[in-house]
Amino acid sequence: MTTGLKDIIESLIFISLEPLSLEKIKEVLSDFPAAEIDQALPDLLQTYAAQERGIQIIQTAGGYVFSTRPEFDPWVRRLLKIDKKSRLSTPALETLSVIAYHQPITLSEISALRNVDSSYTLKTLLQKKLIKIVGRKNSPGKPLIYRTTERFLTYFGLNSLDDLPTEEEISKILGEEKNLEQK
Amino acid sequence: METSESYQVRLEVFEGPLDLLLFLIRKKKIDIHNIPIAVITREYVDYLEHKDKINLDREAEFLLMAALLIYIKSQMLLPREEPLEGEGDPRRFLVNQLVEYQKIKAASTILKEKEEEQSSFWRREVLPPLADSDEVDIIEVSLFDLAETFFTLMKRKEAENFRVIRGKNYSLENKMKEIIAALEEKSVLDFLEYFSQQETLEEAIVSFFSLLELIKARLVMAVQEQLFHSIKVWLRKGPLARKER
Repeated sequence: MTTGLKDIIESLIFISLEPLSLEKIKEVLSDFPAAEIDQALPDLLQTYAAQERGIQIIQTAGGYVFSTRPEFDPWVRRLLKIDKKSRLSTPALETLSVIAYHQPITLSEISALRNVDSSYTLKTLLQKKLIKIVGRKNSPGKPLIYRTTERFLTYFGLNSLDDLPTEEEISKILGEEKNLEQK
Repeated sequence: METSESYQVRLEVFEGPLDLLLFLIRKKKIDIHNIPIAVITREYVDYLEHKDKINLDREAEFLLMAALLIYIKSQMLLPREEPLEGEGDPRRFLVNQLVEYQKIKAASTILKEKEEEQSSFWRREVLPPLADSDEVDIIEVSLFDLAETFFTLMKRKEAENFRVIRGKNYSLENKMKEIIAALEEKSVLDFLEYFSQQETLEEAIVSFFSLLELIKARLVMAVQEQLFHSIKVWLRKGPLARKER
């Protein structure tokens, strides 16, 4: 039975454009016992991990989705006619980190943390749908409040906000920088 | 970056005053928690004087920091009965800011690596359209999405060279009635399509306001079947309104 279920889950992930969460799979496959789904999903992931295929199932933004394997990037790009991939600018990355760690946050709070007016960068990030407006703060002027989106998670290959670089990773980077200078 | 002449670095290299301060602190191998304000202020002001290109927008932010540094120094020069330590240290505020900023910078370096890493994972971006069904994953759109779509449309219209016909007045009330009538007939309107049918800019704007009014009055709702898809307007009393939790 589990084998059939595994194939069904595979087809569901295949057809999903957005990462498909375990909850959603269970919701769709309500006629199967939840425990069997819990078993079949890792099985499926295992199958893909073990086989040498061009595609794989990755876990991102709290769900599962098909993607090509990174080593085939040059050929995929050739097919899609994409020479150079666009990257976020340094101010954009900086602003995103501020929002990611301090959300929900307002524009003036972001600007205060960076000590730089961030309104333009914020607009770009909104257009790229990496952040969203979630409401207004109940303070003078009722400023808009921003949060990162699911697209943000997918873009950086994070499963959830808990996957953001930890305090240790950050201090490691800071430590490395110091070492470099001492050399 | 040139090393021969003191600070022939372009202003654009630094994201802001904190970025520059951190650079100077590292360069001088200063302990961030015990900054010799006089030294760093001199370095900082020196940099501002030597930079070759002035970006007026940013200039203000950089100057504000210079003022803050001088203010801190002046505070530290004032005679006190007790030595300034811990919370009372006038440098405290700046140090906290610098420490936090340092973390943000480090975090964005990590994010940059992740971005690079992720860019070689390709996912399918298009799917064959789903058949119409009640099960579509509907996202109710925000005002921002609506406005953005509207502006895109206006830009497109602008290119077509709008001709304004005078002497015709559009009222919100009539437009609202018109939209409702159209919805009752067709049950769903395509946001972009509807606006491209408008004859004049004025009419389009009045329609947009009417639509916003209707959404506010919770008579209609604007939904998007999927991210980046066209926005559709529904009448709220339909089966969809009931589906709402």
